[in-house]
Amino acid sequence: MIIDAHLHVDDIPALGWQLAAADCVARLDEAGIERGVVMTIVDAPEVNPDALELIADACAAFPGRLEAFARIHPWYGDRSLGLLERALGELGFKGLKLHPVTTIAHPSGEDTLRLIRAAAEHNAPTLFHCGDEPLTTPLAVARAAEACPQATIILGHMGGYFHVDEAIEAAERHPNLVLETSAMPYPAKIREAVDRIGAERVLYASDGPACSPRIEVEKVRLAGLDPAAERLVLGENAARLLAAVA
Amino acid sequence: MIVDALAFAADGLVDALDAAGIDRAVVCPPRARGHGYDVENDRVASLVSAYPERLAGFARVDPLAPGAAAEVERARGLGLRGLFLHPWEDSFRITDPAVDRVVDGAPVLVAAGYPWVSEGLQVGELARRHPETTFVATNGAQINISGLGQVDAQLALEENPNLHVQTTGVYREDFLEGIVERLGAERLLFASGFPRFDPRLELLRVQWAPAIGAEAAAAILGGNAERLLLS
Repeated sequence: MIIDAHLHVDDIPALGWQLAAADCVARLDEAGIERGVVMTIVDAPEVNPDALELIADACAAFPGRLEAFARIHPWYGDRSLGLLERALGELGFKGLKLHPVTTIAHPSGEDTLRLIRAAAEHNAPTLFHCGDEPLTTPLAVARAAEACPQATIILGHMGGYFHVDEAIEAAERHPNLVLETSAMPYPAKIREAVDRIGAERVLYASDGPACSPRIEVEKVRLAGLDPAAERLVLGENAARLLAAVA
Repeated sequence: MIVDALAFAADGLVDALDAAGIDRAVVCPPRARGHGYDVENDRVASLVSAYPERLAGFARVDPLAPGAAAEVERARGLGLRGLFLHPWEDSFRITDPAVDRVVDGAPVLVAAGYPWVSEGLQVGELARRHPETTFVATNGAQINISGLGQVDAQLALEENPNLHVQTTGVYREDFLEGIVERLGAERLLFASGFPRFDPRLELLRVQWAPAIGAEAAAAILGGNAERLLLS
């Protein structure tokens, strides 16, 4: 069983990006993937106050195929927290997504830590965009991991193009960090991550549907993991994380 | 015929090409450490002479180093067909006037998308200054995991018909397909980026892209490099 831990559903006319739930499911089908985790590109409550509903509707349209992460801007205080509680409670979302490039909220800022801790109360992981830009580097996100040892924090893109080694090093230091493989272009680094931190903390994802889930799966296969480790990375780890959310 | 539009002279190069089914490759020097690029250019020329049917060599210089233009000329005498510039590794801005002095009409590969030194619009500006020269930017001219460089890369391509981009490391399939749809497959070149990138994975970005048809794929995987870099 394969689970794709990072896909996008959104409709952003300003960028000309229309990422439909049906596109995600079609791309999962093409790659032989059973389930995917979807999230928006923009944040709630700004710039899209209806971002949670957009994702909830997407998941409802494909029962059993799509799970939801809530992308929330940390700057709105109790309003942000209320949105997260609604997402993880009433709406059945499975995690929090933070993208500091769009929010310019530092991962170790108090408003951000408050959301991460609230997610952890539900056993829900926080997925950070973790690449090469300021506010998103592994050393920045690792401060959140240190401040919230009870939270599972996923480094989406595991450091991007130029911060992959630092992502692996951060995960060695912080057992609550998980490395997520999407878009990061080096199969050999997936193998190295598994060797250094264990297959239980490496998570397959694609960043689809604009990125190819099929190619991203093949990237994991090119890493040459042993079959048990490959099963963990491609699906079992995500299944475990999603099932733990309460 | 599959032609790799950029690999570096590193151990295991020909084996990696064989493993990925790549017929020919443009090979460039890696970063010189502890010596000048004359040493690296000589090494590439030797490697090419060992595999003349498989490899075509490009020279590399640091445009700010003394004698850079003379080294370009010397390298041409070694049979190296074009120029590779890496503004990030060699610490110069691609729009620096010193770069103009090493552009000699042969094709130029630019390590692109690096902040401050080779952003998409900066590479576009270089291409604008030399409209008769073929420029090929690595990594879609936007090596950014948030996709933040895509618009600048597209603008640079739209404004400069002599600018082309490579597919290496470009995870956004819609970016690659968009270039083919809006500007034509002739603007896109497959490159493996070996050894930093994995040629087996890099090929799939073209071969498995749903909206890139067979004819376009053939151009991207080899025809464009043959025409622009090897002829």
